[in-house]
Order: sequence, then structure tokens, then C-alpha cells
Amino acid sequence: MSPGRRDGTRKTGKSGGTKVTQFRDHAVIEPQNPLQKAWARQSIEGIGSDPVADAERALAALSGEFAGWMDSECERLDAARKAVRAKGFDAETRQALYHAGHDIKGQAATFGFPRAATAAASLCRLIERTPDARRIPVDLVDQHVDAVRAIVREHGTARADIVAEALSTRLREVTDEFLRAENGGLLPDEDEVLSPPTVPRPGAR
Amino acid sequence: MVRIDFNRLRFLLIDDNAHMRRILRTLLHGFGSREVYEAEDGAAGLEAFTHNIPDIVITDWAMPIFDGLELTQMIRQPGANANPFVPIIMLTGHSEKKRVMAARDCGVTEFLVKPISANALYQRILTVVVNPRPFIKTKTFFGPDRRRLVNPNYVGVERRKGSAKAEIIPQQALLERVKTTE
Repeated sequence: MSPGRRDGTRKTGKSGGTKVTQFRDHAVIEPQNPLQKAWARQSIEGIGSDPVADAERALAALSGEFAGWMDSECERLDAARKAVRAKGFDAETRQALYHAGHDIKGQAATFGFPRAATAAASLCRLIERTPDARRIPVDLVDQHVDAVRAIVREHGTARADIVAEALSTRLREVTDEFLRAENGGLLPDEDEVLSPPTVPRPGAR
Repeated sequence: MVRIDFNRLRFLLIDDNAHMRRILRTLLHGFGSREVYEAEDGAAGLEAFTHNIPDIVITDWAMPIFDGLELTQMIRQPGANANPFVPIIMLTGHSEKKRVMAARDCGVTEFLVKPISANALYQRILTVVVNPRPFIKTKTFFGPDRRRLVNPNYVGVERRKGSAKAEIIPQQALLERVKTTE
């Protein structure tokens, strides 16, 4: 560490390529960027013309598997629902049902079933925002699970999107009604936001 | 323009869902990466992190044993492992603001909401490779600087002591500000 300012609030030093600036109640640490090893110029051999397009092509090549994967995620959701029916909501069954729904919420669009993601998101919201899960009507759980499965099963058929949207809208309405009743007449905060912007600044180091 | 030579980066994917791991692996291979390690829960992830010393960690939030937040906290223990500065990209179905803030406060570098896209993942990786943020260490926090932007128009208390010319920035009354701009 090098000597700092007279008021002692700031000291700067370097250790092993890491610059450390010490302030009164915090330190700012700037390690050497070890990932600089991966910086490359466009012309370097072995780097594709467009890595994003290359990755999208690779994902498209995998897409033949997606319908089967979606089916297995639906089976998992169904098994979790059956466990809730058999044992009621406890920590384990609640977690299994939530987790199964949450995975579908996150993956269904990638698998080509975005409408199923919407219905699964409603199920997650129902579980997450109900203060006491034991009060969730099992019929409402069934309606969500059956809706997800029906949307997947009927995917690609005529009117599938219209029916899926109607189902999801109705699920949301019924869930809202239940959540209001369980939360003193108010809907819990809906503070969903997109990810923070992370696009690199121009003139990157 | 900086591009990434993915062949020189080692990734660790931690997600309990095998389908998601396969998708991530496919995308990373599509980018050109060859060294991709996988783990299916937080404990196995920590083990794989220690053993393989990845350049970038991509982790799910909800996982058995311990979750992505706990894993992040364990990695961000100065002196506890080989690389507490490793970039951690959290890939999750959670999109609520409070979740994003919680992940940030645990030391997550980037937050990516599912459904995943090749472009979004690429942008996050590009950010951590090309524009790493400095780390901040306080009594209660160790992780990438949570201030992504410097707002020159900020008025309010400067919460970091000793890092600004004036630690308290006087707030101008709203009425005064309106008068000034008229």
C-alpha cells in the first residue's frame, strides 16, 4: 500500500497486479482481468463469423428433442400435483410443485411452448404469493396443471393459441381473486422487471 | 471491436435441470467454447468450482442442497478459494426486482432471466470478459461494484464514506429546482 492522503481516507496500492484503493469504510479492488486472454480480433482464425448465429444454429439442431423434453417436464409437474393431492401441501410437496412449475415457466418458451410458460407462471405466482400454501384449493392446482398439459398436448392444432390464451387469462383471474382473498383484499406486489441493462459500453477497455 | 475467443474460456454450468444444462452447453459450444463443466446442485457446483477453476460460472438460482445465492456467497469469500473474483452469471426464471437486488447483493455479476436466448447470454459473457467491474469490499459486502452508472444529477446522501469530495450532497428542494429551470 502506498501512503494515502493526509486525512487518511484513501490509500492506493498494488499487489500481484490487483489495484486496491482503500477508503474510510470500503475498498475498491480492481483485479487484473484474467479474461483478457480471450480477447480476440475478428480476423482470428477459429472464431466464427457470428457466434450468436452459430449458437442459434446449434440450438436449432437440438430442437428435435424439445417436444420430448417438454413432455417429461409435464410428467414431472403431474407427479408433483399428485403428491400434493395425496399428502396435501407441506414443505416438500410445495417445493416440488413450485420447482416443476418454475422450470416450465423458464424453459417452455425455449422449447417452443410459450403459452405453457404463461400458465406455469400463474401456478408459481399462486404458490409463491399465498401466505399459507395449505389454503390453496387443490382444484385450482389441478386446473393449472391440466392447463399446462393441455396447452402442450394441443400445441400446433387449430385454435390452440386462442384456447391457450383464454385458459391462461382465466387462470390468472381466478388466481388473482384467490390471492386478494388471502392477502387482505390486496394483490401482493408485482414488481417484475427485466434484467438490468448490461450491454458493454463503447470503447471497452 | 473486441470479440471473444471462447476456446480460451472455461465455463462451469450449475443447474439442477438436465435440459437447461444441455441447452446452455449447446449455446456455449455454438459460441466456440470447448471447456464446459457441469454440476447439478450447489454443493457439486462448489466442488467443481474448486477443482476446475472456471473462468466464468453460470448458475441457476433454485437448486437442491444449497442454492445459487448461497453458492455465490461461498465463492465470494476472500481467501476461501482460488478466485473469489470469478464472474458469476445467474440464469433464473425469477424476474422480480427484489430477486435481482438480492442476487446483486450476494455478489452476482450478471443476472439473466429465462427464457434464455443466444444473444442475451452472449451479451452477458461479453460484458464480464471485456468490461469487468471493480470489486467493492465493505464490512457486509464483497462483490462486483453495484453501481453500474454514475449519475451526475444525483442528489442525496453519499453512502460511501471518503469516496467523494463531499460525503453529503445537499438536496435542493423540488420547488427550487423548478424555479432554476424556468
